[in-house]
Amino acid sequence: MSAELAQPQGRLLKQARGWGRAVAMAGRTVGLVLVLFVVVQSLIVVQARPQDLVTGARGMADIIRRATPPDFSKLPDVLWPALETVDIAIFGTIAGVIMALPLAVLAAANVTPSRAFYYLARGTIGFTRAVPDLVWALFFVTAVGLGPFPGGLALAVHSIGMLGRLFAETIEQMDMAPIDALSLTGARRIQIFTHGIVPGVLPALLGISLYRLDENIRSSLVLGFVGAGGIGFQMMTAMNLFQYREVSLLLIVIFVLVLGAERLSAILREKLA
Amino acid sequence: MLRVSGLSLCYPNGKEALRDFDLTVEAGELVAVLGGNGCGKTTLLRCIARTLAPSAGEVWVNGTDLTHLAGDGLRRARLELAMISQHASLVRRASVLSNVAMGSLGRHFTFRTALGGLPESELRAAHGHLAQVGLEGLAAQRASTLSGGQAQRVAIARALAQRPRVLLADEPVASLDPEAAEEIMRLLSRLAAAENLAVLCVLHQVELACSYAGRVVGMRDGRMAFDLPRAELSRELLRHLYLSEAA
Repeated sequence: MSAELAQPQGRLLKQARGWGRAVAMAGRTVGLVLVLFVVVQSLIVVQARPQDLVTGARGMADIIRRATPPDFSKLPDVLWPALETVDIAIFGTIAGVIMALPLAVLAAANVTPSRAFYYLARGTIGFTRAVPDLVWALFFVTAVGLGPFPGGLALAVHSIGMLGRLFAETIEQMDMAPIDALSLTGARRIQIFTHGIVPGVLPALLGISLYRLDENIRSSLVLGFVGAGGIGFQMMTAMNLFQYREVSLLLIVIFVLVLGAERLSAILREKLA
Repeated sequence: MLRVSGLSLCYPNGKEALRDFDLTVEAGELVAVLGGNGCGKTTLLRCIARTLAPSAGEVWVNGTDLTHLAGDGLRRARLELAMISQHASLVRRASVLSNVAMGSLGRHFTFRTALGGLPESELRAAHGHLAQVGLEGLAAQRASTLSGGQAQRVAIARALAQRPRVLLADEPVASLDPEAAEEIMRLLSRLAAAENLAVLCVLHQVELACSYAGRVVGMRDGRMAFDLPRAELSRELLRHLYLSEAA
């Protein structure tokens, strides 16, 4: 009797397995079609024409020929804008850290004094992060005029968003046990912050800030294109005047700056870890 | 010194974690609380420290009723009440001495302490508290380098820096080896007598409770099962305490 019952059950099980395989296969096919669709639509929207790269090769070779050798005689003129670029990044990072830290405390769910502050801080962080630094630079160039200062301001405001979010996440992930222990000793909020929270998260915050400095040096190179000072401004001028040998020198200086900042930031972060 | 009367806690889901609990701990006395997992021992301590708000009852610490206090009033009342737990909860990157002196922050609200500094007088006093727990030589060491037993002793020294009248200890030896556990209990017992502290200590180790506590309180299902001098404890009582939990 039981064998008779087992036969149809086995058939049903086989049938169900077959259906399962068919559904999985259909899912995979739909996934593949979707990926293909995304790739193809992006090629159409960006009007990708690989043949243009071939026809434009002569033009590119011409620019490279005109850009070599780099004009090292211009090096003394490049040093000041290079320093300006680094200082825009330093100013932007320090100002960003100073403004991001209190915002991050308000935006960290585990230490925020109230939900209202939490949402206000999260909103500010989100907005400053969503607007690109180049747009902030255009805004500040209009507000305070050409030069490195609007560049520094743009990086500072954009850094509030980038640093604020990472700082808040670091605070949210910290070990709360020492904080709870301090609050039970009768310490006030500000004392708990300076004695418990700051030492707990300081190395991580310094690491994040150094990484931001590295990013800001890269960003400050581009800000010059909209008149916000630094080596980018020099690069734009040289390109407009077809001074390609100066452009190649500037590219070398930029390469050294970016690589130097990256290495220094990595070494310091390693020491903090 | 510490008086708890009719203390109850009912969670929103209807579960009664603490039911009509009465307890008194006098100055200089060490009282151990025993009971199975989930019987309400930690809840009792958290209600006394007011990190949980009881549904009913009163908590009196040195003549002050903590039950209806909030905000700065509660903060000030907590100065009389120190708490240590299973984990020492030290600021790991700070020195041992700083960690001890942090216990005094509630009494010193100055520009310096708000900016992360500590009062010179309390740093000097912290040396004394470290000597009391036998760790004077480790003052300059970072808290992250301490062993579990050492960290717990630093937590006790931090509690002493608070100059409390009542010390609550929530399973202070749970993560320590037997030798370190004995050391901590010996220390708590000595401090209760020397500092005239009322110590209420939640434990899982019956033998430690019987060796170091003057009185032992048994808890079962959020209620007090017994409150007896250690000499009157019997195997039968203890067996009943833990058997009921299993059932």
